[in-house]
Amino acid sequence: MKHLFSERETFRHARVLCAAMVAVSCFVMGCGSNQEFPSRPLTLICPWSAGGGTDRIARQVAVQLEEELGVPVNVVNATGGGGVTGHSRGALASPDGYTLTLATVELNMLHHRGLSAVGPDDYQPLGLLNRDPAALFVHKRSDWHSLADVDAALAERAEPMNASGTAAGGIWHAALIGWVAQCGLPSESVNWISINGAAPSLQELMAGGIDLVCCSIPEARAMLDAGEIRCLGLMADERSPAAPDVPTFREQGDDWSLSSWRGLLCPRGVPPERVAVLEAAVDRLSRSPKFAEFMDSGGFQTSIADASEFTEFLSRSDRQFAETLGSPAFVQSQTAVVRPYFFPICLGILGLIFVVPACRSQAAVATEPSVAEESDDSSWSRWIRPAVVILAVTAFVATCETIGYVLATAALMWLLVIVFGATRRQTVGVTLLAAPLLYQLFARTLGVPLPWGWLGW
Amino acid sequence: MVDIGAFTEAATQVFSRGDVWLIVIAAALYGVFVGAIPGLTATMAVALFVPMAYWLDPIAAIAAIITMAACAIFAGDLPTVLLRIPGTPASAAYVDDAYAFTRRGEAQRVLRLGLVCSVIGGIFGAIAMMMLGGWLAQAAGWFSVTEYFWLFLIGLTCAVIVAEGPRSKAVLSLLLGLFFSTIGLSAAHQEPRFTLGIASLYSGISFIPAMIGLFGMSEVLLNLVGGAAPAKPRPPVAPTLQRSTNSLALTLQEIGDRLRRRKMSTLRSGGIGVLIGMLPGAGCDIASWVAFAASRRMQQKAQAVTGDEGEVESQRRSLDSIGDATTANNASLAGSWIPALVFGIPGDSITAIVIGVLMMKNLTPGPQIFDEQLPLVYSIYLLFILANLVLLPVGLLAIRVSGTIVQIPKAVLFPLIVAFCVTGSYALNGSLFDVLTMLAMGILGFVLVRLRMPTAPVVLGIILGGPLEERLVQSLTAANGNIAGLVQRPLSIALATLFVILVGSMLVESFRRRDRQAT
Repeated sequence: MKHLFSERETFRHARVLCAAMVAVSCFVMGCGSNQEFPSRPLTLICPWSAGGGTDRIARQVAVQLEEELGVPVNVVNATGGGGVTGHSRGALASPDGYTLTLATVELNMLHHRGLSAVGPDDYQPLGLLNRDPAALFVHKRSDWHSLADVDAALAERAEPMNASGTAAGGIWHAALIGWVAQCGLPSESVNWISINGAAPSLQELMAGGIDLVCCSIPEARAMLDAGEIRCLGLMADERSPAAPDVPTFREQGDDWSLSSWRGLLCPRGVPPERVAVLEAAVDRLSRSPKFAEFMDSGGFQTSIADASEFTEFLSRSDRQFAETLGSPAFVQSQTAVVRPYFFPICLGILGLIFVVPACRSQAAVATEPSVAEESDDSSWSRWIRPAVVILAVTAFVATCETIGYVLATAALMWLLVIVFGATRRQTVGVTLLAAPLLYQLFARTLGVPLPWGWLGW
Repeated sequence: MVDIGAFTEAATQVFSRGDVWLIVIAAALYGVFVGAIPGLTATMAVALFVPMAYWLDPIAAIAAIITMAACAIFAGDLPTVLLRIPGTPASAAYVDDAYAFTRRGEAQRVLRLGLVCSVIGGIFGAIAMMMLGGWLAQAAGWFSVTEYFWLFLIGLTCAVIVAEGPRSKAVLSLLLGLFFSTIGLSAAHQEPRFTLGIASLYSGISFIPAMIGLFGMSEVLLNLVGGAAPAKPRPPVAPTLQRSTNSLALTLQEIGDRLRRRKMSTLRSGGIGVLIGMLPGAGCDIASWVAFAASRRMQQKAQAVTGDEGEVESQRRSLDSIGDATTANNASLAGSWIPALVFGIPGDSITAIVIGVLMMKNLTPGPQIFDEQLPLVYSIYLLFILANLVLLPVGLLAIRVSGTIVQIPKAVLFPLIVAFCVTGSYALNGSLFDVLTMLAMGILGFVLVRLRMPTAPVVLGIILGGPLEERLVQSLTAANGNIAGLVQRPLSIALATLFVILVGSMLVESFRRRDRQAT
């Protein structure tokens, strides 16, 4: 604590530090005065978690984009909120061309459902990469062999049929409900179980919990090839090269198609000459044999479109979803059996039950001699140092985006080392070394992008 | 039953290739490195590697993935033990127990035990996968959402079993964690809850920053107000240990010793690890909690027979439980490969990536891989064993190197911990909001420790809250809102009964304890 209040000491620390920082920054600025775009690493936002299909494509795109542009491209999985987080972060990123987003069909859907303020208009499209049509799957022991069978069963059955493939309101839900409405059946005939993702839905189909799964072919490919499940139809205009013996819905007499898509976009407002550089790179990448080979082996259906075609596709697709998601059938099917606040209310009730015994044992603890002793010297000054640490981290969060990771961390470390009462040599050493080393470790070695700032560091 | 030809082909593929050995060693070092950094998980290590897998042949790519995952899960113990920050979520169950040893200057003892048990668990998992793979995968196919609901509920009670102090406080901590998990856009309804209109809260509280804050940041704050609340004397940290106590031979001897002395508990925790690992959606973090709780429960029973014991004895018990948990979390890694290989359904996020990599090589996991690619399947088994053998020397090296951490003066170490907490929580999602979450959870952890409430149940609540609610809503929706739908299938009835017995026995025990105190 002595150190915190000794002003002269602090001042001396600061002087040594400033001199050193100036020296370091001159060195770095000297290196980074290149004005050509791109001159520093790019960030590619993937709105879905590591390991999924979108993530796999994002990582492949990153590697190839790196070759095209000559700077590192880092993938960030900005997950959560059913795609809201990633898509809004991508649109709100600073329009300098250094942040791209691998957007998915949810960009067309979330704003129609009032979950996100961000829509396709907030983005500058660069290129479409893939489209995967929806398909309908049943268990291998199911009695249904064609769409007509399902159709008949839906019309006859008194109780609704359980189906899944994604969370309620997701793309495959919209696909199935859209088809059911198209057939003129009541939307209550399908009971959509909200299961997050195609793999767990297929698992549930295997376990006998649901009757139908609606998802794309690549998501179900392993089990389809193994013969554990059967595909009844593809919601596309043409058959898929990945599963050529699966008939389309149109062939079976239902004019209904719907597919998901993935494409590269950057925020609106990027300078046109930078957009041109990015468009050209994305175009070369998506038409390269290497990319085609990757997509084929992953089972993804390639569907390449350049920026202008992609822009047109986006608005067309947006209109289709406005219609499907706004239809009475879909709105009706969203009324849940279990209300959203059911689980939190259960938690609240349990909490009330357990508060009483917990308070009683807390009271017992408070009378123990050791605690009474400890609380004796609780003068307010004990709380200053933790408060300084908390404020310092808050200040770091507030300033880091503007001044950059290295400077912000150096400042944070300087303050903390003093709070903890280190010697002067330790202070200078830690302040100067820790931040650049951490930056090196995370940003260079592990490819995790850290905020940029004044030093370009 | 074993195809000898395929087996020898697999063995030559794995053991005689120099490049495979090199890749395995490089992957081991990389895995230890990533796993030891708080905020970076084993999944992240594997995901960062995927673009490189494109240039490798299947055997080399799989070798690298298996090795780095096993090493990252072990390395998660390093910051857990030394700094009280769980390196990966799989270490969260035993943070406080392990850190207690560090305070007594016995960090190396716990770490070596962790290494020994990780290796045993990994090899156990590999053997279980070889022997029972096909059969176990069938069993995983029986689990519908209702069974998962009961399983997760049983997982939650583990946090209460494990916690020190009054049960009611542990339950409150758990409920707090469960409440945090409901913040954000709910998975089942896609409806924003408790977001206060803040857009960043839509994605909810990410549990890795929360975990780093609850353990790491709170420890820094506690130190600043002078001593962590359970005011135990803290002797000076022991000097680095002598060369002799850290040798390979001694560790091998320790493995043999442990296998002899704790045969049953190793079998039990390995089994728990494999079983939980193979269920999609339940991974090494939950395996480690359940094994830890099972171990505790057994000890409590034994203790009830023999009566209270001294300090040394309780330390030994604590070590045994940590060992059981580390056995289970490494065993579960192999378990998660079972459904991936047999059905093509990933058991966890790592195997999800593996399936992607295999498909990139034109290999589709599923029953036919056993017919068409039998040598490959055998190589995967062998690679698991190889990976765990390589983990032994690499892990010892890591323990030796990390030992220097305890020598850093406190005034430098604590600021560095804060820097790691900040950077690690940022690194996960590249979001500054996560740094604020970490800070808020640090303050919460600080308050909880001062109120003498356990922090670990909060973490489990955040991890399991989402899946638990989802499965509950799914089961109820499938049964059209009828509560009886939760106990309609034989397997769900069995699991529900197990849950009721667990809770009942805990209630009886606490009443009995209160009676004893009253008299």
